[in-house]
Amino acid sequence: MPSARWEIGQLKLRPEIVWAMAISSLKVRLPRTMLTTLTISTATAFMMWLLVAPTSGDLTERQSWAVMLVLCLIVSGVGVLNTMLMSVTQRYREIGTIKCLGGLDSLVLYSTLLEAAILGLVGGIIGAILGVAIGFVLALADYGGAVLQHFSLVRLPVQILIVFGVGMLFTTMGAAIPAWIAAKMPPIEAMRGEK
Amino acid sequence: MSSTPATNTPVAPVTDWFASLEHQTEFTVMTQKVSKHYVMGGETIHALDDVSLTINTGEYISIMGPSGSGKTTLFNCIGGLTKPTCGNVFIDEVDLAQLDAHELAWLRCRKIGYIFQSYNIVKVMTALENVTLPMLFAGVPPEEAQDRGVALLKRVGLGDRILHTPKELSGGQQQRVAIARAFANKPAIVLADEPTANLDLKTGEEIIQLMKLMNREQGVTVICSTHDHKMLDISDRIIWMRDGNIERIARRDEVKIQISEMKEH
Repeated sequence: MPSARWEIGQLKLRPEIVWAMAISSLKVRLPRTMLTTLTISTATAFMMWLLVAPTSGDLTERQSWAVMLVLCLIVSGVGVLNTMLMSVTQRYREIGTIKCLGGLDSLVLYSTLLEAAILGLVGGIIGAILGVAIGFVLALADYGGAVLQHFSLVRLPVQILIVFGVGMLFTTMGAAIPAWIAAKMPPIEAMRGEK
Repeated sequence: MSSTPATNTPVAPVTDWFASLEHQTEFTVMTQKVSKHYVMGGETIHALDDVSLTINTGEYISIMGPSGSGKTTLFNCIGGLTKPTCGNVFIDEVDLAQLDAHELAWLRCRKIGYIFQSYNIVKVMTALENVTLPMLFAGVPPEEAQDRGVALLKRVGLGDRILHTPKELSGGQQQRVAIARAFANKPAIVLADEPTANLDLKTGEEIIQLMKLMNREQGVTVICSTHDHKMLDISDRIIWMRDGNIERIARRDEVKIQISEMKEH
């Protein structure tokens, strides 16, 4: 559109602002954030334990473990969904205001997803440590020192990466819907009165 | 020095100020037959009905009217927050209806400053971060944004509270941050939605004076919806709205005469 005094430009997404917004949002809701992280940790610890534990038992037993793991992950994913939905609805006015100031949909979308991904990563780290520790202790109790010879340090980094990946995937999936709602929120929400 | 045009005088007397406005052909906001209809429970509500209006560059406009008169709707249409059902809104000759979502975001960032009734300071950020945020969105380098943010906060009288969070600020101080934030990107217009409604009389008065000061200093058009009659004294023009229509538009000098007439009776 031509104008006598200026021309319409385009705003660019600045990664450092996405990062800053995700971090500040996490900080403000730290207690609840910690709780959510804990559920992710539990699920990922379970998964880690299944991965590092010496493969024993028959096929059906391992299948039922796998089913439990998936259920566990889904439950923690729903936990993330709930937490992030709350985080978004609590910030209706704030998100509206940020949009009035020129915040793009993508900024809101990515910062919310990043917030969840950080949760997933931290939860994954705690979960991986817990999982390895529990698996190791349990195996030690069952088989004694022989475990040390079978313990594969080569496979461990790969297993940890898999656990991180799956943890982050489920948390980000849980956050996808709230992030979308936040991103599409009209800036006029900022005009709403105090509630 | 009688040949010097009034517009070049740094502090023009009030009468010259109006004279200069009349000769000005530049306008910042123009609405053409703007209507906004809502359907509520099967009934169509005409929140705005064919509102046509021109606001000149640098003017201070107050919109008055009872709640439900359509002033907030008009306001939102001008601010690019609501799309009118029909009619056009132009800001500096740019038709808002022609803009896509990205361009509207740019317009909100660079050309419009918003001041809200409930301040809407981002709670998780300091006063300075709140003021620099729109500048960072606009692509101003962080160091420059910091410097400008500090200068703006000093200008609104919060030089010693730059790193305070909203929790540590009073309502009036939060509204000052909001004013600094609204003027951060040197916008074409600043829209203020009942900025003094949540403040006590004295603080409200200070906020009004500050908005007027920023309006004059930066030459930014200010449009303010209000119930507050103290606003009349500093407005260039006052628009009264009723039932989605403009009831009356008056310049300040005309209103003053009426007030003094009222007092005589």
